[in-house]
Amino acid sequence: MLQIEDLSVVIHRPGRQVAALSNVSFSVAPGEVVGLVGESGGGKSMVARAIVGMLPSGSHATGRVGFDGDDVLRMDAAALAHHRGRGAAMCFQNPRGALSPTRTVGRQLIDRLVTHQDMDGKRAAESAKELFAAVGIRNPSRRLEAYPHELSGGMAQRVMISLATGCAPGLLIADEPTTGLDVTLTREILRQFRHAADTDGRGVLLISHDLASIAEVCDRVVVLYAGTVVETGPAAQVLRHPAHPYTRALLRSVPDVSGGRAVATAGGMPLMTAAPHNCPFAPRCAHATDVCRETRPETKALSSGWSLACFHPQEEPLFADTVPSNHAESSGHAEPGRSAEAGRVVLRVQDAHVVYRSRFGSGGHHALRGVSLEIKAGETLGVVGESGCGKSTLAKLIMGLVEPSEGSVEVAGKSVRKQSRVERTRAQMVFQDPIGSLSPRRTVADSIAEPLRAAKVSTAERTKKTEAALQRMELDSSILTRMPHELSGGQAQRIGIARALVGQPDLIVFDEPTSALDVTVQAQILDVIADVAADAGHGSVFISHDLATVRGFADRVVVLYLGRVVEEGPVDEVFDNPQHPYTRALLGSAPRLGETRTADVELVKDLDEADAATGCALAARCPFVTDTCRSQEQTLQPYGESRAACWRIPELPALIGKSSS
Amino acid sequence: MRILRFVGRRLLQLIPVLLGVVVLTFLLVRVLPGDPIRSILGPNATEADADAARARFGLDQPIWKQFLDYLGGLVTGDFGTSIQSGASVTGEMALRLGPTLELVFIAVSIAIVLAIWLGIWSARRADTVGDHSVRIFALFGNSIPEFWLGLVLILVGYAALGWFPAPSGRVDPDTNLTPLTGADLIDALITGNGPAISSSAAHLVLPVLTLVIGVLAPLLRSVRASALEVLRSEAYAAAAAHGLPERTLLRGYLRRATLVRLPSLAALVFGTALGSTVLVEYVYSWQGFGQWALRGLLYRDYPVVQASVLIIAFAYVLVFLIADVVHAWLDPRVKI
Repeated sequence: MLQIEDLSVVIHRPGRQVAALSNVSFSVAPGEVVGLVGESGGGKSMVARAIVGMLPSGSHATGRVGFDGDDVLRMDAAALAHHRGRGAAMCFQNPRGALSPTRTVGRQLIDRLVTHQDMDGKRAAESAKELFAAVGIRNPSRRLEAYPHELSGGMAQRVMISLATGCAPGLLIADEPTTGLDVTLTREILRQFRHAADTDGRGVLLISHDLASIAEVCDRVVVLYAGTVVETGPAAQVLRHPAHPYTRALLRSVPDVSGGRAVATAGGMPLMTAAPHNCPFAPRCAHATDVCRETRPETKALSSGWSLACFHPQEEPLFADTVPSNHAESSGHAEPGRSAEAGRVVLRVQDAHVVYRSRFGSGGHHALRGVSLEIKAGETLGVVGESGCGKSTLAKLIMGLVEPSEGSVEVAGKSVRKQSRVERTRAQMVFQDPIGSLSPRRTVADSIAEPLRAAKVSTAERTKKTEAALQRMELDSSILTRMPHELSGGQAQRIGIARALVGQPDLIVFDEPTSALDVTVQAQILDVIADVAADAGHGSVFISHDLATVRGFADRVVVLYLGRVVEEGPVDEVFDNPQHPYTRALLGSAPRLGETRTADVELVKDLDEADAATGCALAARCPFVTDTCRSQEQTLQPYGESRAACWRIPELPALIGKSSS
Repeated sequence: MRILRFVGRRLLQLIPVLLGVVVLTFLLVRVLPGDPIRSILGPNATEADADAARARFGLDQPIWKQFLDYLGGLVTGDFGTSIQSGASVTGEMALRLGPTLELVFIAVSIAIVLAIWLGIWSARRADTVGDHSVRIFALFGNSIPEFWLGLVLILVGYAALGWFPAPSGRVDPDTNLTPLTGADLIDALITGNGPAISSSAAHLVLPVLTLVIGVLAPLLRSVRASALEVLRSEAYAAAAAHGLPERTLLRGYLRRATLVRLPSLAALVFGTALGSTVLVEYVYSWQGFGQWALRGLLYRDYPVVQASVLIIAFAYVLVFLIADVVHAWLDPRVKI
């Protein structure tokens, strides 16, 4: 149905020129799900724009975008109008921004139905309700009246999918449909696309930077690098036995929940000004030879449907040297028990509650409900949970940025509330947005030295320590005089870590430090963090919604759900032998390489529909809920090496066996 | 329901605002140099005459006593007596307010409708000849002084073409119009006076046109800018990428999203228009509120100045309240 042949797009801007795509060819057949994978800047979105005929101004496209026999690049306005929606419909990356804010979502869906399926108003309203129900929106008739700002992220993404399918397109394009969504929701959304291909016979083009998470629903995968297709093949083939070094780098950059560690590839993607004359990946490739640097590899077919553009296809297994057992040694805490016992307690949180009061009088949002933690020097605690579970509030609480309404927080034996300015520098934080967390008008040197200045360290001492921290981050000292906007994301995050490290604090809090970075850069930063977290001098808190990154280097894990700790224990114990139904569901939904493991616990509703007034927080979403759960508050009970807040844990294996059979 | 509560709350807030205005204007007019009594009596009056006149208008009282008297009058709807004419300010103002409000309302309404229509039209043809002519027109309207524009329009519309009546009033006196509200067109419509309807409408054309050209420019530019913003937004691109027809895009995805920011600007422009009327009324001999307030200020006619400032403040607050309600109605994200 979709047949892209030799598509090249060059964008001319005053003063520069960017070769966004160079000789891209691939196809999508009806009923097929094709994944388009690569890092940002690789040209994925440009492909999507070319398919719907919406290339940015100043771009010049050559080649052919064949769609049902016609060439989209050569369509006139009338043909394009027919092609958009009816031929190819796109789900946009940021669904909340892509929904018109001043029109109810129901009206927006009805507009599409009336336009593309020739329905009259009443029938359109009926089928709008059905479409909403089909994408898993509860209470569809009420949701039809909602405005986009009233929807949660997951709900908005479902609406976006219903809008695209409402056009009854031959080809459904989804641009990063799951970015920013939680693991449990990601699975559900991806399943919607598989469903569209299987039941309606649509072609689906899934665009993503995360190969592992989309591979499960894809039939075939196309890997883009710097605007060129480097590898194409059946999903299982590309995922398990990739042959192109870039695909391998991409896969190895993602840590795995089952214990595989990320392997970093140095460097970043180049910005092409013209179609490459050599292999664009050569500068970063370990297998590159002179041939790669001088001539561009042709795309060759390896077997049916599997082709790649490389002179040196790789064959050995992907993870040759990483076996879960020796990763513990390599990350530097082979004897976590001993080093943890030897260390002093650097953080103690006791039964902390945080309530964000609403602006006037009564009510408010209970962000944390009785969290207790303890971290010793040299120890790393992972904090995981879906968005809205209170992870960031916990970080703010530890840093003293919010006051606990009940309970206490002590850093290095002193209550955060009573700390002086100098004592406050004992806890440092690494932020999610690397560039945004650096002051735009200060040089890198100033930014790194900030905590030292707060701690009243002399100028000479500051310079010395700043340079030491910089060296540890493997950065050149020429970077010191630069401004944040001149840095890449990876560099900026290294600066952020250097800033946290420079004053030799007792505690470092990492708040989602890699989620804003590209996959291969993410792996580089995770390496750095693993090294820093292994220091014996301080404790670390690593907050992430991505379970796999936590597993890489945490000693203990805390699973948060709606402001409560539902499970806590040593990292391998929690990940390999989860107790609480919520932990089981989280782990079951996490993407894994190589194996497709189905979750043994499926949560029944979206997070935003769960109300946690009394009883167990999970009661509204748990498949094993009983009346006892709804009425009784659950507290952490020891089960084996970990502790979990659920009274039915002894019965769970039997219950899970029953529901799956 | 929610909107009613909001309106109620805002109307209550009106009380302290107007009280502040009353106090400030009362003090300010008395601080200004110049003596109202001297200006009515002329240079030959004796000191005794002046004292007698002062006593007649209560100006010999201590200032706090004057203020309390004035405030007491306000509560009963009495704005005092004009020093210049000796007539009741309330009665004079009622006569003057109608014609000016008629002028401003018609002009601002036409300007808003035109701005929406032209602005969106222009944004959808951004960087074409049509768009450029609209923008040049807006620039022209923005930079031309009203009194000059008024004179040119009189020269062309009355002196050269003879299409419109002379700028000598609001309605032909021969039509025997019974004044009710002071707004002549409305009076004519109410009384069903056919000749008066056409006469007052003809008299309105030139002054309204003068005001519209001046007021249209900022509205037009704002509508065009925000329509361009919507056209370039991801939401609009998404709707266009789904192949919705032009008409649906214009009505459902462009218009309302564009108008979201217009009400607050329109309210501001209403205020400007109220100010511009002073000159426009002067050029067209339009016996309205602006001229009356201006003369009051020139002769230090305390009660007239106080009343006119109070009315203008009241109009501002009311118009902004309407703008807020319209904004909330247009933009579902706004909570009131």
